[in-house]
Amino acid sequence: MTGGTVATDPWRFPQPYGWRTLATLIAVLAVLLYSGKRAEIDRMTAMTVQAVLAPVGLAEKSRVADGLSHLARQMVPIQISDRQEVSRIEGFDPNRLPLFAHLETVRGHEEKLNPLTMKLESQPTESVWLVEPLGYVVHVAGKMLETLEIALWGTIVAVAIGLPLSLLSARTMRMPLAVRGVSNTVIALMRAVPELVSALFLVIAYGFGPIAGILALGLYGAGFLGKFYADDMENADPRPQEALVATGAGRLAVWRFAVLPQVMPQFIAYTLYILDRNMRMATVIGLVGAGGIGQELKGRYDLYEYGHVGTILIAIFLTVLLLDQGAARLRRAWL
Amino acid sequence: MSMALEFRAVSVCHADGTRALDEVRFTVPAGQFCVVLGPSGAGKSTLLRTVNGLTPVTGGEVLVGGERVEVRTLNRLRRRMGMIHQNFGLSARATVATNMMAGAAASMPLWRTLTGIYTDADKAAACALIREVGLEEAHLARRAEQLSGGQQQRVGIARAFMPRVGQPGTSAQGPAVVLADEPVASLDPRAAEDIVTLLHRQARERGTTVLCSLHQLDLARRFADRIVALSAGRVVFDGTPAQLHAAEVVAIYHHGQTAPNVPTPDALSLGAAA
Repeated sequence: MTGGTVATDPWRFPQPYGWRTLATLIAVLAVLLYSGKRAEIDRMTAMTVQAVLAPVGLAEKSRVADGLSHLARQMVPIQISDRQEVSRIEGFDPNRLPLFAHLETVRGHEEKLNPLTMKLESQPTESVWLVEPLGYVVHVAGKMLETLEIALWGTIVAVAIGLPLSLLSARTMRMPLAVRGVSNTVIALMRAVPELVSALFLVIAYGFGPIAGILALGLYGAGFLGKFYADDMENADPRPQEALVATGAGRLAVWRFAVLPQVMPQFIAYTLYILDRNMRMATVIGLVGAGGIGQELKGRYDLYEYGHVGTILIAIFLTVLLLDQGAARLRRAWL
Repeated sequence: MSMALEFRAVSVCHADGTRALDEVRFTVPAGQFCVVLGPSGAGKSTLLRTVNGLTPVTGGEVLVGGERVEVRTLNRLRRRMGMIHQNFGLSARATVATNMMAGAAASMPLWRTLTGIYTDADKAAACALIREVGLEEAHLARRAEQLSGGQQQRVGIARAFMPRVGQPGTSAQGPAVVLADEPVASLDPRAAEDIVTLLHRQARERGTTVLCSLHQLDLARRFADRIVALSAGRVVFDGTPAQLHAAEVVAIYHHGQTAPNVPTPDALSLGAAA
C-alpha cells in the first residue's frame, strides 16, 4: 500500500516504501539482468577479475592482462629522438643543422647482384642520418600545441555561433515564434551530432587537418552553449527586465542591462566547461584525421610504432594534468 | 514638459476572469503628486502598469499627455516615463553606474549600449543625479546588491529620472511622468520617509507628474496633492489629504471585501467599543 497508513496508526506520515517501490525494484532488476546478458556484462566481469588476479598468481592466465602488458612492453622505451636519412631531406645543408642535432654515418653491407658474374656480392654502403636527440618530443609538443589551438578556436567558434542563437531562442527575448522555433531546432541538431561523427564528415569536406577539428568542436559547442545560455537567460530574474521594458528600451538594451549582468558568471562557467571539454575532445577527433595529436597518435598506432604511441600518451597525460591545474587556478581567481 | 494622465473607464480583466480594475476614471493634472491608496489586491499596481502598458487594458483607455496608450504609441510614451519599483528592479550584480545608464538606454544608440561607452552628457547626468538622491559618486562603481535597501531605492529613483536626451519629446529634465509602484513597501519607516521625501522633491523641482501607490497613510497625507483610493478595482475615494478622514480610511480598507473572515467596519467598531 502506497499510503501505508491505517486510521489508528499514530504515524501520520506516508510510509517511505510500499509494494509499488518493491515492484519497481524487481522490474528494474529484471531489465538490468536481461540487458546485462546482452551487453556481456558477465564476460566483462569475469575477464576483468581474471586480469586483476593473474599478476598476483591467483588466476592461471588472463588474455586481458597479457594483451595489455604486451602493449605496455612495446611502448617502452618511448620514442624521444628523431632520425632521418639525409638523402631524403630536401635542400639539406650540412652546415646549418637544427639545434642539438648531429649527423651519424651508418656503414653497412648490401648484397648486390653483379651483372657481369651473375653472383651476389657484398658491397659496403654508407648512409648519413640526421639525428635530433629530442626531435620526436619537439614534434609531439608541436602537435599538442596544435591540439590546444583547435580546442581554443573551437570554443571561440562555439561562442560566436551559440550566443546569437541563444538570443534568438530564449523565450524571454520575445522573438517571433518562427525565429525561436528555427533557432531551437538548429541548436538541437548541433547538440545531437557528437563531435567525432561530425568530424568524420567535415574531414571529407575540408580535408585532413585542424579546420575539420575546429568546426566539429565549434558546432557541437555552439549547440551546447546555445541551449545553456538560453536556459539561463530564461531563468533570470524578470523584475529588472520589466524595469527596462518600462523605459521603452529595445530588446538588446534590456538584455545588456538587465539580463547579461545576472547571467555573466554562469556564461563564463559554461564557456570554461566547453573549453575544458574541447581540450580533451580535440585529442579524440584527431583520430579521424581532424588534426592535432590525435591524428599523430592514430598514424603511429597504425604503423605499429608503439614507442611513438607511448610518447604521445605521456604528452596527453601531462597536458591534461597541467590544464586541470591551470583551470582550477583560473576558477579560483575569477569566479 | 509635464504631462497629464487620464483614465477613461479603464477596466482590466485577467485571463482567469478576475477583474483587477473596474471602470476606473479620474484625471491627474500635469505636475500633480497623486498617491494611490488601497488594500493589497485592490488593483493599485495594475492601475500604474496600465499607464506604461506593462499591463494592457481590456476596456476603456488611458491617455498620457492627451495621447492614447496603445501598441503604436507605447514605445514613444514609455520613453517619456520613468518607473520606480517595489523590489527596486535593479540588476543586482551590475554596478550602480550601469543601472543608472539603463535608465537612459532607450535614447542610446545600440552600440553604446552594448559596448558600455556612454556619452559625456549621460555620464554627467548620472553623476549629478546620484548626488541629488543623496549618494556619492563613489557609489557608482559599487554593485547594486552591495547597497542597503534604502540606497538601492535611491538608485531606483535616480534611474527613473535619468534624462533621455535625443528622443523626440524628451528633455534634459528627465521624464514627464514617474510611476512609483509601492516604492517604500520593503523599507523600514525611516528609510521609507526619506525615499518619499526624495521622490517628492525630485518631482517638484522638475514639475514631473507622479502617480505613486503607497501603504503608509501618514506619508500619503504629508506628500500627496491628491489621493485616489481603490478597493476591489473601483475608485472609492478621490480627494485631497485633508478630506481623508478616519471613516474614509475604514471604508477604503474594509469595503468591498466580501470574504466571511474579513471583519466588517461594524465588527471593527464593535471590537473597538468592547
